[in-house]
Amino acid sequence: MTTTTPPQHPSADDPRILLDDQIGAFEAVPPYPPRTEREAEFYSLGDGEMFLNMGPQHPSTHGVLRVVLKIDGERVVDLDPVLGYLHRGVEKLCETSDFHHIISQLDPLEYISSLFMEWAPVMAFEQLLDVQVPRRAEYIRVLTGELNRVASHALFQGWMALDLGGLTPILYSFIERDEIVEMLAAITGQRMLFNYFRIGGVNGDLNHEFMSRLGDWMSRASVQNQANTDLLNDNEIFVRRMRGIGRLDRETALRMGTTGPNIRAAGVPFDIRRAHPYSVYPELEFDIPTRGHDGGGDSLDRYLLRIDEVKQSLRIIDQCLHNMPDGPVMAGLPRLLRPRPGRAWAAVEAPRGLFGTYVISDGTDQPFRMKIHDPSFVNLQLVGLLMKGNLIADTMAVMASLDPVMGGIDK
Amino acid sequence: MDRSLRRRLEARFGDRLTGPVRQRHDQTEIRIRPADVPEVMRELHDDPTLGFEILADLAGVDTGTHMQVVFHLWSATTPDWLRVVADGMPRDDPRIPTLTGLWPGAEWMERETYDMFGIIFEGNRDLRRIYMPPDYTSFPLRKDFYLADDAARSPGGGVRHMEQTHAPTQATPSVVRRTVKA
Repeated sequence: MTTTTPPQHPSADDPRILLDDQIGAFEAVPPYPPRTEREAEFYSLGDGEMFLNMGPQHPSTHGVLRVVLKIDGERVVDLDPVLGYLHRGVEKLCETSDFHHIISQLDPLEYISSLFMEWAPVMAFEQLLDVQVPRRAEYIRVLTGELNRVASHALFQGWMALDLGGLTPILYSFIERDEIVEMLAAITGQRMLFNYFRIGGVNGDLNHEFMSRLGDWMSRASVQNQANTDLLNDNEIFVRRMRGIGRLDRETALRMGTTGPNIRAAGVPFDIRRAHPYSVYPELEFDIPTRGHDGGGDSLDRYLLRIDEVKQSLRIIDQCLHNMPDGPVMAGLPRLLRPRPGRAWAAVEAPRGLFGTYVISDGTDQPFRMKIHDPSFVNLQLVGLLMKGNLIADTMAVMASLDPVMGGIDK
Repeated sequence: MDRSLRRRLEARFGDRLTGPVRQRHDQTEIRIRPADVPEVMRELHDDPTLGFEILADLAGVDTGTHMQVVFHLWSATTPDWLRVVADGMPRDDPRIPTLTGLWPGAEWMERETYDMFGIIFEGNRDLRRIYMPPDYTSFPLRKDFYLADDAARSPGGGVRHMEQTHAPTQATPSVVRRTVKA
């Protein structure tokens, strides 16, 4: 009897296999002549400079972002972010699905703050249809939205430390985030991609499991938040690597179209919840924290500002629970929606900034054009300004402090 | 709706507006020619009585007959969003001056609009594709972009599903059906 040897599968570790140089390697320099002035300027090397390709699978690029760094020693001279690795053509998908389906198409945009991705489009559709949303539904939207904001900022806190090389804080962040995610799963039915808001209301009323989980969490949320914060804020290495790095001044922030915590950390109190109030925010009491009043905010300011925001969100959640009116959670609407031809724009304050939607209706059940404005996309442009002159390791701190999510950037 | 904004815009821009100022819900809309964009935007930004200092969005639109670029602006002087529609660019060669001189942050938004619609922003120094690969040749969000399994091309216009059309490739292109006055 002869024994058969198992077939040998080629492995990349096998020294007998010669890999083509191109396999698995990204060419930092594009293999075609430069097409724009900026590209020509970037892809020409000065004395002592070299290119370093970072990503798209680099763990600290928050998704699949590729950045070509031009470095001189350990200093970053210039950089060229390359996007599109997660591009799914969501806007085109929205043009070919009806108004109800669109809500589920949008959830995976910024997958850690999905409720806000549903909120702005739903508001725009309600404008097109002239629907009045019941007050209870508005309160539930604010309540769940702010919970989602806390979860998103909690994850940011952990990511920030992870990008600086600290592994512990993200484990604590996940404890807090998981509580909220389970809570939202009890009311929406999903842990991440909630698909909860509906045109004219929300999908379901508050239920017992949600309320008991929320009450349990609220009783210790601020204590837990403080503990997580102390873990990092009292860490000298963490603070020294963040302070003074990536300084963004007020004027630049405005001109660069920055929104959200990044512009507030530069001293501009621009928050859509107060700048252009929507939903029931005018009835609620909360402050708009700002930082960086001495001519700009650095990475540490952007980090601390998000912690301030979590405290304000807890205030809002508390008020929502006390003021929650009774009544229906959905407006009466037909299954097939055909708004009159027209245009609508709605924007909400997502955890990363202004999330807006511009919808054109042509009278059919699908939008003629749907533009999604994602805050991370605009905020990511700042890396080109803020990373220059820093060490490669510090560029990670800068990028993490801007808190981009590639799902939204690439659409 | 902010009636005083409407009066201020009409007084300020007069014949540079190509249509009446429209207002609905919390939005005020003006229409201008593409060539006037830098000048009008600079006045909207610099004039302290208008003070539109935040560019909230820049969107391209293919109406089926021509191209538009739509800007949304925010100002502390009015409770309304301002929508500026630069209208009437030909589909075969849409061109508009860039806004990067005023808002450098518009650079990527213009790159995205170029990538999706082929609208050339004259003066943008980095007008490359941003999402699609560099060797890509078409513009996906144009209305004549071909989608092989597009339910919207079925005779039901998306109401009935595509199995109604046995050969979706022979269905009417959506650009014929869906030409609207946007």
